Amino acid sequence: MTEGKWAIAHISSSFNNVIITITDMTGAETIARASGGMIAKADRDESSPYTAMQMAFQLADKMKEREIWGIHVKIKAASGRKTRTPAPGAQAAIKAFARAGLRIGKVEDVTPVPHDGTKRPGGRRGRRV
Amino acid sequence: MVTQYVRIPQERIGVLIGHNGSVKEELERRSASKISVDSEEGEVCIEGTEGGDPVKTLRVADMITAIGRGFSPEKAVALIDDASLLFEIVPLDHLTPKTLKRVKGRIIGQKGKTRRTIENLTGVKMSVYGKTVGLIGSSRQIRAADDAIEMLIKGAPHNTVYSALERQRRVEVEKW
Repeated sequence: MTEGKWAIAHISSSFNNVIITITDMTGAETIARASGGMIAKADRDESSPYTAMQMAFQLADKMKEREIWGIHVKIKAASGRKTRTPAPGAQAAIKAFARAGLRIGKVEDVTPVPHDGTKRPGGRRGRRV
Repeated sequence: MVTQYVRIPQERIGVLIGHNGSVKEELERRSASKISVDSEEGEVCIEGTEGGDPVKTLRVADMITAIGRGFSPEKAVALIDDASLLFEIVPLDHLTPKTLKRVKGRIIGQKGKTRRTIENLTGVKMSVYGKTVGLIGSSRQIRAADDAIEMLIKGAPHNTVYSALERQRRVEVEKW
């Protein structure tokens, strides 16, 4: 593969959706983007690994048109009082990017962590289902 | 090439390295990455090799964190083998020392009864260690276990937690 440009893939993965935005190295210019709802029919599939994979393949096609050769990845999970582990969609997306022939550069977790955030819902007796 | 840094407690370094480095070597082989451990600081550096699978490198970093949070390598290795599993840390560091001790006891239960019940009802693997609870399981399982632990921290009686888990499981079964 010939030498080409690098880009950044910002992956925001919660348990309800995955949003991937491809930007240039400055992060200011969006090249392409995809979200779960653009592929999945059902709401609950928006965050599934398969959907994330399809999104990554679509984006990889667009990046090939732009002669982008490799990507750095920034993963963001649901932050604040929610879980701080990236949902399964994020890893599936990285895997799909690699399989689509893109070079993966740095992978970074950029989940914002509050120094002391707001209280979790649920009250003293916990969440009653 | 992917490089990840993980920090683990000193007393877990021995577990990560294993007898004559057996565990560490096994991990390096499975993930096609290079693992270097600073045994004074507890800093672990995981470097993906050229042509290696970058996701594997990320997963092995997750697994090393899990070992650092009290899991045995045998249990934590599932994180590499099964792609659908996640590792999650439930922090307990907002509790005062005395409450922390009490809450940890509540989560573990008498001779590990509560821990075992949560593991059986949700299918996660649990490790209560220091100021954290570590969970290994699928995203659905982790959410269920996380809810249960949250209830226990907030002070819900054990029985309420068990029946909530039971009910949740029935709903899941009906759905699929």
